[in-house]
Amino acid sequence: MTLVGITLSSGIIAGIILALLNLGIVEPTIDKAIALEVQKQVSSGEKVKMSELIDYRYWQKAGALAGGAIYGAGLASLFGVVFVFARNKFPVKNNKQKAIFLAGIMWFVLFFNVALKYPANPPAVGDPETIYYREILYVAYIMISGFAALGMAVIWIRTRMYSKRILIPLIYAAIMVTAYFVMPSSPDKIEISMDLIHTFRILTAITIGVFWGILGIIFGSLWDKFLSKEQTVVTKLS
Amino acid sequence: MSTTKQTTVKSFGGLPVAIGFLIAVLVFTMFVVGYDQGQLFSVVEGQSAFDSKWIHEFTHDMRHAAGFPCH
Repeated sequence: MTLVGITLSSGIIAGIILALLNLGIVEPTIDKAIALEVQKQVSSGEKVKMSELIDYRYWQKAGALAGGAIYGAGLASLFGVVFVFARNKFPVKNNKQKAIFLAGIMWFVLFFNVALKYPANPPAVGDPETIYYREILYVAYIMISGFAALGMAVIWIRTRMYSKRILIPLIYAAIMVTAYFVMPSSPDKIEISMDLIHTFRILTAITIGVFWGILGIIFGSLWDKFLSKEQTVVTKLS
Repeated sequence: MSTTKQTTVKSFGGLPVAIGFLIAVLVFTMFVVGYDQGQLFSVVEGQSAFDSKWIHEFTHDMRHAAGFPCH
């Protein structure tokens, strides 16, 4: 159960740091987007209950740290499982480097690559009527990217001819380019400033990247401390 | 004549259980942060949970920042 302990604790710590970063860096863009959303509702004659909105924002901001901890614990769980099976296959030496290396790959496969097709959006973007459709698209794209990367990793490990390994990232790229063009685009139109959208997307890509980096560093350090010492039992038989 | 046998005992007791547990945590937490639109609370709160969406609102800002579709 040491594995579970170091995995969840590293995820929760990294997730809380992510939440604090988001509160400082990303939150102003969310506030601006919500202000634009309210402005639009008011100008279209819709009644907006400000006290209710303030209550919601209080609840949403209060949940940021818990949300970060839950998000961190979840992604760290996947990270821990992959690390257990793949740690001896990475082209780096110590566990901390291995964990950071894996974190970089997972950020690329599970966030960056997915964001190229279905990028993060602030509030004020998205029709509630299409939420389940967009969720299905998002999960499907993550699954395609994740399982393609997993498949390529297995082929990489089993390929004895090193000269052929160069093809493996190219196959992954081909799968993702195909998925990019085959998968439907998000149905929602963006009706607020693209500057705000771009700022939000860049900032979230950075903070999620920092999250993965911190997760790798903490996980690698905890692994070194609690799990790297394999017990060697030497039994002398006579 | 003496023989030396070296056995490596890895400190991963109960590895399948740990992995199963971590996968369960992954599925549950991703549903909570990324996808719940009232489903979890509807178990105890009924249909009104889909209007109040407490978990959705509680994880709202993280959901946007992490790239999940939110609303």
